[in-house]
Amino acid sequence: MLSDTPAKRRRPTRLAFRAKFTLAVRNVLRHRGRAFTTLGAVAFGVATLILSQGFVEDIFVQLGEAIIHSQTGHIQLAHEGYFVHGAHKPDGYLVADPEGDKARIATMPEVEDVMARLGFPGLLSNGRADLPILGEGIEPAKEEKLGSFVKISSGRRLKAEDHFHALLGDGVAKSLRLKTGDRAVLMVSTKDGATNTLDVEVVGTFQSFSKEYDNRAVKLPLTAAQELMNTKTANTLVVSLKQTADTRKVANTLTERNVWRDQEVKMWDQINDFYPKTVALYGKQFGGLRMVILLMVLLSVVNAVNTGVFERTAEFGTARALGNRRRNILEIILIENSLLGLLGVAAGVGIGVGLAKAISYVGIPMPPPPNSDLPYVALVRVSWNAVITASAIGFAATFLASIFPAVKMARMDIASALRKAI
Amino acid sequence: MSIVVLEHVSKEYRLGDHMVRALDDVTLSFESGVFLAIAGPSGSGKSTLLNVIGCIDMPSSGRVVIAGHDISGQTPDQLASLRARTIGFVFQTFNLFPVLTAEENVEYPLLQMEELDKQDRRERVKEMLELVQLGKFAKHRPSQLSGGQRQRVAIARALVTRPELVLADEPTANLDHKTGEGILALMRDINRRYKTTFIFSTHDKKVIDAADRLVGIEDGTVRILGVRKEGQWAITNVARRAASTTDTEAAALKR
Ligand SMILES: Nc1ncnc2c1ncn2[C@@H]1O[C@H](COP(=O)(O)OP(=O)(O)O)[C@@H](O)[C@H]1O
Ligand SMILES: [Mg+2]
Repeated sequence: MLSDTPAKRRRPTRLAFRAKFTLAVRNVLRHRGRAFTTLGAVAFGVATLILSQGFVEDIFVQLGEAIIHSQTGHIQLAHEGYFVHGAHKPDGYLVADPEGDKARIATMPEVEDVMARLGFPGLLSNGRADLPILGEGIEPAKEEKLGSFVKISSGRRLKAEDHFHALLGDGVAKSLRLKTGDRAVLMVSTKDGATNTLDVEVVGTFQSFSKEYDNRAVKLPLTAAQELMNTKTANTLVVSLKQTADTRKVANTLTERNVWRDQEVKMWDQINDFYPKTVALYGKQFGGLRMVILLMVLLSVVNAVNTGVFERTAEFGTARALGNRRRNILEIILIENSLLGLLGVAAGVGIGVGLAKAISYVGIPMPPPPNSDLPYVALVRVSWNAVITASAIGFAATFLASIFPAVKMARMDIASALRKAI
Repeated sequence: MSIVVLEHVSKEYRLGDHMVRALDDVTLSFESGVFLAIAGPSGSGKSTLLNVIGCIDMPSSGRVVIAGHDISGQTPDQLASLRARTIGFVFQTFNLFPVLTAEENVEYPLLQMEELDKQDRRERVKEMLELVQLGKFAKHRPSQLSGGQRQRVAIARALVTRPELVLADEPTANLDHKTGEGILALMRDINRRYKTTFIFSTHDKKVIDAADRLVGIEDGTVRILGVRKEGQWAITNVARRAASTTDTEAAALKR
């Protein structure tokens, strides 16, 4: 009754996958403490990666929005060459029919608004001193809608009914000691060599995200700028979109459509190199930080996985004494840690996304970024990309970390493994 | 037929620079159905000898034949099926899987046997748990069982594959005296009823008295062989060193 026939004894044995899987599941579910150590390490790592990436992404997005809504709009169209040479010869690159072009662009469904600007270099004088500035004739009503990131530091914005009025960048006002209500004189040289002047009243001062810009910028109504420059047109059309994500698509369409001959289309991140440079700089700094985080995550996962495996050396020795093969030990450990990895990733994504939402709900007050005077509220932006990357790292770390102890356990001779029993 | 045959078996371990000789030219053979004690002080080589017999450790030299299989030169994995089907193990530290219930622990070795379906396994597990009088504890985890109960589960696990040979390395050393006696009685009973061969090691002289065969070892060599007939040990000295030492040992063991 307690014996099998010799023929039966010769049949090879094989540990069914179900058995290995069940053992792995039970090890995860029934040894909470140990499972929790590994799971916690993985979850913590995944959550940290999601949060850190979400934080950096938010900085980039907010910086982009700040640039768009305080300076550039989403897309600008100008005569070819204006973006490179226009600053010194603004009247050489005029848009022939700004009103007609604006109307044509405005028909696109993604477009919120189109406005004309007339930029020019000039001097601003307070009666005692002159300061070289970059003047910008704008359409006040439309710009007010676009310019949500422009902070009025004193006085008020330009209004539609303003004419001989100017809004000064903070730096300009400081340099010339001009205050709201003061009068100043704008001077430009025209293409025939004459100097035109315009007497304006300061209605206020502003801050954008960039101090450099605020040190030079003087905004005035387009009509006044046209009078000063002796023209009826403008040199840029600024397109504002309903969604920043549509920028590339609309820019491509505008390029293909050729709103006018010799047009040049630029997206907000191409208009000046501030954004790409900042992204590169921050990317580098946060890249270093994320490497540190990644390393900590890897170390804690490796440590948890190692502990979880090696403390069971005698168990694996027992399994092999009972007839399990080396491979089975390897499989059991890998399956178990894959499960832990998956659960840890799931928990980490839950925690990471939850915390990101909570933090974004509250907001992190941030000091002004370099080159700016405006503090802002940082959020944590969760992208699919970040979630997938963090999950992949979390799972791969657990799985890879389990290979070494699994191989070591599988290679161990049974007698030595059994001697580890307490 | 001899179920275990060892011929000039030696086992050496490297310990730092020098070699430790755990078994030194051991030649032994055991008949099927014996209830055999391997006795000797700590460090004498009992575990090593059991490990070699159990195909979980390879001898450095010599020939080992277990249940008709010459295991010389085979890898541990090549011997996995032999271990799974022919040999049952009971350990001093019980070595149950802590995350499995008593019945799952007993079922574990059966999971390797593809010829058994779930129903077969369930029946066998039930039968074994009842044999060790733990039918009511099937759903208990090892941590919810006493030492003696754990060792009974381990015995059920060792027997569930219907092995020819059960190896028990100091099975009572972690149990109090009375519980240990219960375990020995259980093993003895199974040995009588089912003719399963039991080989167990011990350094406890009282435990030796439960056996019907005795191998006394010291420093890796066999010193005495004993056969018990009608309650009396017939001891043979395997004299390799000074006879006087061996006599003393034999006397001590016999007491
Ligand atoms: N893996 C090993 N490495 C080195 N020495 C070992 C190893 N295993 C056992 N030994 C030595 O072999 C001898 C016999 O050990 P063992 O068989 O465990 O004895 P026992 O079970 O009788 O206490 C001891 O001296 C022990 O230290
Ligand atoms: Mg021992």
